[in-house]
Amino acid sequence: MRTGRVARTATGPGSEAGSATPAPPRVVRLGLRGRAPGAGGGTLVLPAALLLLAVSIFPFLFTVALAFSRVSLIGGLSIDFGTVYNWARLLNDPRHWNAVRVTFTLVVCAALLQYAIGMVLALILNNLRLRGVHAFRVLFIVPMALTPIAIGYMWRMMFHETYGAINGLLRFIGLPGLPWTSDGRLALASIVIVDVWHWTPFMVLMLLAGLQNLPAEVLEAARVDGATGWSGFWKVTFPMMLPTSLAALLLRAIEAAKLVDEIYIITGGGPGVATENLTLYAYYTGLRSFDLAYGATLAISLLVGVMVVVSVLLQLTRRLREVQLW
Amino acid sequence: MVRAYRGAFADALQYLVLAVWALVVLFPLYWLVTTSFKPPLAVSQGPRFIPWVDFRPTLEAWRDLLVGPQSSAVRRALGNSAAVSLWSTVVVLVLGAAAAYGLARFSVRVGPARNADVLTWMVSQRMMPPIVAALGLFVLLRKVGLLDTRLGLVIVYAAFNLPLAVWLLHGFFQQVPVYLEEAAMVDGATRLQALVRVVLPLTVPGFVANFLFVFMLTWNEFLFPLILTFDRAQTLPILIAMQHSQRGVEWWSLSAMSIITLLPTVVITVLLNRFLVLRLLMGAGK
Repeated sequence: MRTGRVARTATGPGSEAGSATPAPPRVVRLGLRGRAPGAGGGTLVLPAALLLLAVSIFPFLFTVALAFSRVSLIGGLSIDFGTVYNWARLLNDPRHWNAVRVTFTLVVCAALLQYAIGMVLALILNNLRLRGVHAFRVLFIVPMALTPIAIGYMWRMMFHETYGAINGLLRFIGLPGLPWTSDGRLALASIVIVDVWHWTPFMVLMLLAGLQNLPAEVLEAARVDGATGWSGFWKVTFPMMLPTSLAALLLRAIEAAKLVDEIYIITGGGPGVATENLTLYAYYTGLRSFDLAYGATLAISLLVGVMVVVSVLLQLTRRLREVQLW
Repeated sequence: MVRAYRGAFADALQYLVLAVWALVVLFPLYWLVTTSFKPPLAVSQGPRFIPWVDFRPTLEAWRDLLVGPQSSAVRRALGNSAAVSLWSTVVVLVLGAAAAYGLARFSVRVGPARNADVLTWMVSQRMMPPIVAALGLFVLLRKVGLLDTRLGLVIVYAAFNLPLAVWLLHGFFQQVPVYLEEAAMVDGATRLQALVRVVLPLTVPGFVANFLFVFMLTWNEFLFPLILTFDRAQTLPILIAMQHSQRGVEWWSLSAMSIITLLPTVVITVLLNRFLVLRLLMGAGK
C-alpha cells in the first residue's frame, strides 16, 4: 500500500514532469569478435582496394597482356594482342636462362648466408642478458633501413680494384687484391656480400623474435635432459624454430628475387651478363631497347618463378607441420 | 672452477662475434663518410683510411653539392624526394588505416570473400615483383601524361606501399580492445566519435611509427622512379645513379650525395628504435 507511493517518489522529479522513464541503454551490437555487420566496413576498405586495383592490379594485367602481344613504337604506340611469339622466344633465349640462373643463385646464396649469420647473431643476442646489447640493436638494424642505391654505391667504391677499401685492406695484410667486379663469378659473390650486409638484420629480427617466443619449459626440460650446446641446438632449438625459419626464408627469398638497385649500380649486370638477374634483364629489354612486349614476358617469367618458390616453401611448411604436429 | 672459466670464455667469444659484426656494419659507412671529405688526389693515389693521417680532409665535395654548380640538381632531387615521400605516406596511412579499421571492426563481404580473404589479397600484392607492374605502368602513365611528375610517383608509391601498411595497421587495430569503443558507444557516442575520442589517442604512437616506416620505404624507392621519371621529378636515388655515368666517378661528390640521402633513413631508424615497435619486435620483455 505504501510501497507504490515510495516507488513513485523515489524516481524523483523526472517522472513527475511526465517524461518517460530513462531510455534503456543502447544495445551495441558489434557482432562476433567485435565485428559489426553492415556496409560500414566495405566503405572503409573501398578506397584502398580501388587504389590497389587501379595502380597495381590493372598495370599487372596490362603487362600480362603485353607479354602476349607485339608492340611497335614506330609512329606512336601500337599494340597487337594475341600472340605467343614472345614465349617461344623466351624459351629459346640463352640470356633469359642465364638471368634465371643468376636470380636463383643470388636468392639461394644470399638467403642461406643471411640465415646462417642471422641465426648465430640471434642466438647470441638472445643469450646475452647483459648490458651493451641494446646499443648493438640499433647498430644492427641500420643497414636494413639505408637506401639501397647508396648502399650499392658505397660497396662499389669498396670493391674498386685499385682505389677500393677491401683490396686496400687485403694488400695491407699481404694478400693480393681481387677483381671483385670484373670477374664473372666474383662479381656474383660481390652482390651476395652486399645483400648479406644489407639484409642480415632482417633475419636477426625475425629469428630473435622467434627464439624469444619459444616455450621456456620445453627448453628447460631439454637442458635438464642434457641437451646443451651444439647438440641441444640441433635437436631442440632448431626444429622448434622451423616455422619461423621458413617464414623468414620465404620473405627474404621473395625480396631477393626482386633485387635490382645494388646490381644496377655496382655491376650494371656485368661483367657481360654475369650478374644480370631477371628484373634487370626485363628492365633493359623493356626500357632501354624499348622492346616492351618481350620485357613484359621476362617480368612475368620472374613472377612465375617467385610463385613457384613460394608454393614450394608453403608446401614444405605444411608438410612439416603435419609431421611435427605443431 | 673449470665450468666458470668455460662460461666466461663462451661469453667473451659471443661478445667478440658481436664486435666483429659491428665492425662489418660500421666500416663501409665509415669509408663512405671519410671519402666525402677526401680531395681528389687522396682517392686516386690508392685507398686512404684515416683522416689527418693518410689524407687531408676537405669540405670541397660538400661545398660543391650544397652551394656549388651541382646544388640546383641536388636541391631539386631533395625536394622531389621529400614531397613525394611525404604525400604518398599520407595517402598510404589514410587509406590504409581506413581499410585496416574496416577489416578489424566490421564484417566485410565481397561475394564469397570475407575479411581474412580481403586482407590476404591485399597483403599478397607484395609478392609481385615491381618490374611486372612497372612496365605496364610506364605505358599507362604515358597515356595519362603522368610520366615524370610528382603526382604520378605519389600514386604509384602509395599503391605499392599500401599492402604492408594495411597489414601492420590491421594487426595494430586488432590489439586495441573492442570494449573501449563499445563502452564509448553505450555512453552515447556515435561510431565516429568513439573512433576519434577513444581509439585514435591510443593509436598515435603506432601511427607515428608507421608513418616513419612507410616514409622511409618511399624515400628509398629506386626502380619506379627509374622507369617513370626522366629529369623533372627525379628523386635522390636516381640522382646518385645517374651521376656515375655523366661525370665519370667523382667519389667524393657521390659519397656526400649518398650521405645526404642516407641521413633521413638513419634518423628514422633511431626514432623507430625509441618507439616500442622495434623493441616489441626484438622482444624487450626484459
